[in-house]
Parts: sequence; C-alpha cells; structure tokens
Amino acid sequence: MASDSRTKEMLKELHDAVLAFDEDRTTELCHTVLREGIDAYRAVAEGLSQGMNSASDRYEKMEYFVPELLLCSDALYAGLDILKPAVLASGKRTGTKGSIVIGVVEGDIHDIGKNLVKTMFEAAGWTVYDLGKDVKLERFVEEQARTNSEIVAISALMTTSMLAMPKAINMLREKGSKARVLVGGAPLNADVARKFGADGYAPSAATAVEEATKLIEALKKQRQQG
Amino acid sequence: MGALKRDRMTKEERMIALLNRQPLDRVPVWGMMAGFAALNVGYTIADAYGRRGIEAVQWTAEQYGFQDVPIAGSLGVYEFGGEMSRPSGEFDQAPIVTRYPAATEEQARKLEVPDVRRAGLLPRCMETTKAMQRQGAEYLVLMLVGSWDMASYICSLENVCRWAVRKPDLVHNVLRVSTDFLLQVARYWADVIGPDRLIIFSPHAQTSNHVVSPKMFQEFCLPYIKETHHRVLDMGYKHILCHICGEHNLNLPFWAQIPMGEPGIVHFGHEVDLDVASKHFPSHILMGNVNTAVIQTGTPQQVYEMARACIEKGRRHPGGYMLAPGCEMPPRAPPHNVWTMMKAISDFGWYE
Repeated sequence: MASDSRTKEMLKELHDAVLAFDEDRTTELCHTVLREGIDAYRAVAEGLSQGMNSASDRYEKMEYFVPELLLCSDALYAGLDILKPAVLASGKRTGTKGSIVIGVVEGDIHDIGKNLVKTMFEAAGWTVYDLGKDVKLERFVEEQARTNSEIVAISALMTTSMLAMPKAINMLREKGSKARVLVGGAPLNADVARKFGADGYAPSAATAVEEATKLIEALKKQRQQG
Repeated sequence: MGALKRDRMTKEERMIALLNRQPLDRVPVWGMMAGFAALNVGYTIADAYGRRGIEAVQWTAEQYGFQDVPIAGSLGVYEFGGEMSRPSGEFDQAPIVTRYPAATEEQARKLEVPDVRRAGLLPRCMETTKAMQRQGAEYLVLMLVGSWDMASYICSLENVCRWAVRKPDLVHNVLRVSTDFLLQVARYWADVIGPDRLIIFSPHAQTSNHVVSPKMFQEFCLPYIKETHHRVLDMGYKHILCHICGEHNLNLPFWAQIPMGEPGIVHFGHEVDLDVASKHFPSHILMGNVNTAVIQTGTPQQVYEMARACIEKGRRHPGGYMLAPGCEMPPRAPPHNVWTMMKAISDFGWYE
C-alpha cells in the first residue's frame, strides 16, 4: 500500500502526463500505480481524468487545439486500458455520474468532435454508449430505451445533417422518452438548438459535461417532484 | 417586401467590373451553391456533383441574380487512389471519403503525384471547363484545395492532426506532394485553358482555429499556401478566391501575408467580423459572411437583417465586397430565405 504522499505525487504525475499528451509516460505511470498498490480508482478519477479536464480547460482558452486534445485522449485511453481491470476488481464503480447515449446523425461522418465529447464524459466518470457516426435516427431511440440513459447527445457538422436533430428529438418524445437531449456541432448555436427542441446545447467538447450535468440535475429534481 | 430593383449590369459585367475595381450597379452576390442549386431545379443532391450540377448552378444563378459559375476541380481523393460516395440520403450534404488514399504512415510516406492529365476526376473537370469556355463564359473557376485540406482528404484529418505533433516530417511529405499536385493541376489548366479568365477557388476549412493552433497554421499551412499562391500568380492567374470559413481570427495576420492576386477575394464565415477583416485585407475584395445556420433555420426577417448588416459593413470596405453565405449555401435552405438575401441587396446594396 502506497503512502498518502506517494499517492498524491503519482496522481499529479498522471495528470501531468495526460495533459502533456505523453502516452508512454502515462502507460509507465499506470503500471507503477498497479505495482505499488496505489488505489486504481483514484488514479483514474483524480489523475488521468483530471489531466483530461485540464486539457479541456486549455482548449477553452485556445491554448490547446484539436491535435493536442486527440493526443491527450490517446494518453487517457492508454492509461484506462491498464487501470480499468483493477478498478473493476476493486468493486468501485466509475460510471456513477450518469449515463449518456452519443452519436453523429445520419448523413454525417464528421466524428472528431463527437469522439472528444465522448472522452470528456468518460473522463468525468459517466457511462457512455457510443453509437458512432452516420447513425440512423431510430438507433438513438432504441439505445436510450435499452440503457435508460438520462442524456442523449447528438452531433452534426453540416447544415443539412443538423436537420436530422429535430426529427430524432421528436422520435424520442413520441416514444415517451424522458431523457434530456444535448446537441452540438459547428453549424449550431443556442437559438437553433432551442428551435430544434433540444434541452441543451454545448458549443464545444469542453462545455458538454457541464451542460449535461445541469440537465441531469434538473431531470432528477423533476423526478423527485413528479 | 416588394419587387426587387432591376439589375443594370449582367452577371458577367458585374464580375469583371468588380475584379477591375470599376463601378458596379450593386453589391454582387455569390450563392456558394452546389446541393442547393441541384435541388432548386428538381435534380437530386447527388446530381450537384455530376454533369447536371453545371446547368443547375447556371440556372439557379440566373434565377437569383447570383455570380456563381460551376466550379471545376477535385479534392485529391480519387486522384491519389481513394474512393468517395456521393450524397444520397435525406440528411446528406456533400460527397464523403469512403476510403482514404493514404490512411497509414507507410502509405503517406510513399505518396507520389499522379498524372494530372489522367488521374481521377480531373479529365472530367477539364471537360467541364472546356465546355464552359465554349459557351463563351467571361470567367471560369478552378478549385485548388489548400494543401492542408488536401492532406486531410488523403490521410484523414485525425491522422494529419496526430502526425503533425508526433511525425511532423510525415505531414510535411504529404503537404509537399499535395502542393506539387496542385501546382501541376494549375499548370495544366493554364496551358489548356489559359489563366486569364480563370479564378482560382481555394478552400481552407480545415485550417481554422476550430482545428489547429495559429502556431500549427504557421508551420504546416502558411508556407505551402504562400508557395502555391506565388507560383499560381506567376503562371498568369490574376485572382485567387480564398474560402476561409470557420474560426480564423487568430490566423488573420498570417492570411494577410499570403498573396491572392490584384485583387484577391477573401471569403469569410460569420465567425470573422467584416470590419476586422477589412483592416487585414484593405485592398482585397471581401466576401461573406451570412451565417448559414440562420439561412437554414432563421426567419426571413433574421436573414434580411443579417444580410443588411453584412452589406453595410461590406460597403465600407475600400477593396470591394460580395455578399455570400459564410460557407456552402445549405442545400435544403428555404428558398424564400435565399431570395431574402437578394431583397436585402435590392434595399441596401445599390451603388447608384
């Protein structure tokens, strides 16, 4: 069992390695975590994930851009691959914040943004059901019903493909889904999102988790009252 | 909203006058149409990217009073050995890459410039330009995609982004081959068609700060764009229309260093304020920048107001101005919203 100071030191190093998109260093540190008996759950939640959150902050400040975020994401997943078995074996759950179905709508194959949003949710401890790109609209409905996810996140990068969003939202509502719908993508803005009937809009990968958290809190409140 | 004022110049007269800094009847409008034109004349969206797309653009430009002419050119996918599919579904907009020509590092390292007289779509593109020339077109457009954008079509944007950090030499190799390819295409068109009436259309969507940092732009985009433009202008081309959509504010000082002809045309998305653009490009023609999301989903009043604001800013610019959507006209835009742009021109865009 590692000491508290050693654990803190390792958490910071994991954070820094992800932030510096140093995949090799992240891998090496994760093996050290296991070897030294450091809590793998904390290593994920307070080390790797915090590194991705800091990367997201830098993206918001226009200090990081898509290449840096992609590489931070690679480092994060390299670390998760090593630590996840130990987290599962420990009985501690990582997917406690909420669950989300995510995908790029039918007619659209631009998935870099969606993949970065997915990474942010995974880093923040959400359970993510990723439908991929060019997703038939009924798949959003089916997957939300199957997983009972609180959030459905829909992405589009074209002015034509974004027209699939109101249709997907209507399909969810017609099936009686109470899930909150979050939309994002280059051609959208808050007005368009509202017009499409979405519950929330995230202008960037960095803001998606915060917006979804607000939606899920409102949903929980509504459930308590109803 | 009443009838529109009647034009006093033909589309051709207006474009030639704009490029020669001569007086115009009104602010010109470039519709940036592909799918919109095809659907407008009753064709499918896939037709926009075939032979029928030529007449669709011509007819729709005539209907609306736009400056658009069919654009010949290719993204490099077929030419380097990849595959694409045309849009066909209800929500499709543009062709998509179904197989990248060089998706692996080894393929990217071995890339070679294909024979531009025979490769991929280029023979058909050349036929399009020749047909337009036979029709007596006063101006023609050849697309030369920016080198970084072409690299992303050849290798995928994700690969290019990752390699730019991890394997910069590999990206420089792809950019070198892409640039050489573009220059050979330009040379071929100059030899067969002649550069005088050809406007180069040069799109750079993937170089925006939504994707890359200004530092990365400076290292990987700027040198190749500069080289391409210098050499294209040396071939005798007079005007380059740079399509710089998306968030480009941090890149503007670099774009200002890039030659685009005398004058060039700089086309912005709604993210760049036209007054800001005017300071960076005082002698070039500005073009843009009506928000395409508003054209697609807004009310006619919103489109009208947005177009009015663009026209008023554009008219203050000393280098000249052309109203346009910030990117491609949404194929399924409400036609009335598109007409409303012309209504705004009629009300606020007249010089006389």
